[in-house]
Amino acid sequence: MKAWKILGIALVGYSLFAGLTSDVPRLVILNETIRNLYFHVPMWFTMIALLGASLAYSLRLLRSGGDGEPLNLERDRQARAFAEVAMIFSLLGLFTGMVWAKATWGTYWTADPKLNGTAVTLLIYAAYFILRSSVDDAEKRARLAAVYNVFAFVLMIVFIGILPRMTDSLHPGNGGNPAFGSYDLDHGMRLVFYPAVVGWILMGWWIASLRVRLDRLTAQQTPS
Amino acid sequence: MIRLRAIQQILQWEWALEYRRSNGWFLPLLFAAMVGYLCSLLVREPSPTVWLALLWMTMVFSALQTALRSFAATPGQWLYLNQLVAPTELLIGKTMTTALNCLLVTWTSLALFSLWLGWPHLPEQMGQVPLWPFVVSLSLGAIALSSTLSFTAALASKIERGTGIMAVLSIPLLLPTLLIAVRASKLALLGEPLSNLYPNWAGEILMAGLPLALGALLFPYLWRS
Repeated sequence: MKAWKILGIALVGYSLFAGLTSDVPRLVILNETIRNLYFHVPMWFTMIALLGASLAYSLRLLRSGGDGEPLNLERDRQARAFAEVAMIFSLLGLFTGMVWAKATWGTYWTADPKLNGTAVTLLIYAAYFILRSSVDDAEKRARLAAVYNVFAFVLMIVFIGILPRMTDSLHPGNGGNPAFGSYDLDHGMRLVFYPAVVGWILMGWWIASLRVRLDRLTAQQTPS
Repeated sequence: MIRLRAIQQILQWEWALEYRRSNGWFLPLLFAAMVGYLCSLLVREPSPTVWLALLWMTMVFSALQTALRSFAATPGQWLYLNQLVAPTELLIGKTMTTALNCLLVTWTSLALFSLWLGWPHLPEQMGQVPLWPFVVSLSLGAIALSSTLSFTAALASKIERGTGIMAVLSIPLLLPTLLIAVRASKLALLGEPLSNLYPNWAGEILMAGLPLALGALLFPYLWRS
């Protein structure tokens, strides 16, 4: 087993243990739910990291097929697997967020910009998978999916990165609510939060690369 | 390098095919009129928010129809067009014709909405609200819609039985555009001062330019085959 995989297990294990047992600041309304920072927020970091990797693989796929050469379908498998695992993390982030919202805001769902961003990300990538499943030819599917992936990723970043800053939100980190900005994150929490982010990204990367391997083996066994 | 001559050829082609030889341009207009009339039957004296939401829903689905038509051509016609112009020029030309058609649809729906549903009732004390900022907000929004929709229509045209998938591919991508455009038109409808509208108009122009620029970069990869 490679070192980065062991590091991933260790960091996630540490963040699970320390996240539930360490001391946290006592704040009104938030109370113990502040620990969700260790579980909910790393899901989004992992999702963005995996989607970024998927984007990079899509770009490399598009650059591979020049001058009569065939497209490198391995890049297509990677782009798909990373997007798939990113959606799993997106769902996990959504569920951990909904549980937290029920405890603090009193409802599972509101029309908050952050929640709209999540919903639109899930819809965009659901459309990406639908697009993939409706093209039979492997080369054509790879190219169309890569083009859509690049186009959709940029618009998604506009949606989740720029729009929330234009409107007010109840979500921590917006409208004066505390989040992990430099001035309001407790030093002790940083020591758990950053390892959790790195650990979950490594775990997501690992799961996605397993998915790629499985796909590759399946493709070898069933010659087209 | 984008040649103006090529864009002009696409516009002439569309003019000949859509406006002179067939009644293709009439289809989205008729669709908008039907949806507008349906709205007027289902809702009586809607609030400004509901009125605007219905107008935008009509516009979005009519724009989908418009964009789908712009990339519906026979293989023979594509062969001819592809020899005439480069892929990027094709996308820009098609986006321009889609935008013009969407503007036509928008102004028609606005006229029909005010005829059938009436103008939304605003609070008495607001006095007279000028119309042109509202029309500008709607028009910029329509142009922004068409720049995303042209690209997804081109993508859908590459898929067999792709018309069904078009809405699924487009609507999530349209959400940022729609949120900005609906806000801009709402502020204009409620008579906000122009200084509050400019940032939203800038957002609408961004959402027209960004997908077009991105599409122009990606289109050669999509069109190669």
